[in-house]
Amino acid sequence: MHEMSVALEIGSIVARELAKRPGCRLTGLGVVVGAFSGVQIDTLEFCLEVVMAERYDGVVCEVKPEPGTAQCLQCGRRFQVSRAPFECPTCGMPALGVDGGDSLQVSYLEVE
Amino acid sequence: MSSERVEVKEKVLSANDQVAAENRALLAAHGIYSVNMISSPGSGKTTLLERTVDLLKPSLRLGVVAGDVQTRNDAERLERHGIPVEAIETGGGCHLDARQVARTLALLDLPSTDLLFIENVGNLVCPSSFDLGESEKIVLMSVTEGEDKPLKYPAAFRRARICVITKVDLVPHLDFSTERAVDNARSVNPDLRFFFTSSYSGEGLEEWGGWLGERVEEYRRGR
Repeated sequence: MHEMSVALEIGSIVARELAKRPGCRLTGLGVVVGAFSGVQIDTLEFCLEVVMAERYDGVVCEVKPEPGTAQCLQCGRRFQVSRAPFECPTCGMPALGVDGGDSLQVSYLEVE
Repeated sequence: MSSERVEVKEKVLSANDQVAAENRALLAAHGIYSVNMISSPGSGKTTLLERTVDLLKPSLRLGVVAGDVQTRNDAERLERHGIPVEAIETGGGCHLDARQVARTLALLDLPSTDLLFIENVGNLVCPSSFDLGESEKIVLMSVTEGEDKPLKYPAAFRRARICVITKVDLVPHLDFSTERAVDNARSVNPDLRFFFTSSYSGEGLEEWGGWLGERVEEYRRGR
């Protein structure tokens, strides 16, 4: 629901970075979205498309999901998770505690 | 002309986080312990706050920032309990952000406040992404909502340290297992601490209010 605010903030970050590089044209943009960041990737992609198309021509946006990592209490296996419930793929036990997957980051710009 | 990749690695919400850090510093300067209360609509945030305010008012100086999409209804309900309340009407916005809270802090009498409640917009998704500068995020879920709320909305339960399960007086009438709800919440955040309250019967309110009082004292001592 707040993906448009997120897309607008990304727009501000992009504008700030471009201002440091006069004469450069933006061609691409990379964003990392954690599985538990509370942001819906499809919706953010759509909002980013709208925000970028308003300001620049032909920018390719790459929105990359970032899973979290859970550890099984039973067998100790560490595994990636992107949605709850967090169950071990080996023994099916519920895993307690998940690290990561909270990112919401502009990772790179591509300019020419 | 060839394309060049520029590493940025900037948090998208860094502008919000910056203002949140300023809010946190301002609240700390006044020794104010603050809680950001997050839940879905209808989980009983305002009613729990009304009971909590009545309980703590004799011993602590309280303040409330009440966020709502539209209307000042929640703020007006709380004002009737004789404490300072400032409303934030987001006008469609699905969460409070740090800038809105900063503007509202300027309206409160901070030197005369010990404990500030920030009642977020009723929404279990978006509010969890925005740091407001609070001391503690508290997530509420009512027993009428279903035990799987923590699995459906893991971000809110992961970012809070405290979970209040409300309306527990209704459990006998429902197919709701408190144990399963707690297990689900712990599976996304093993460090969660739980309170079980009923604003209707008063169950659990002493423990919840007592804990808040202790936290205010602890916060002041640690300053």
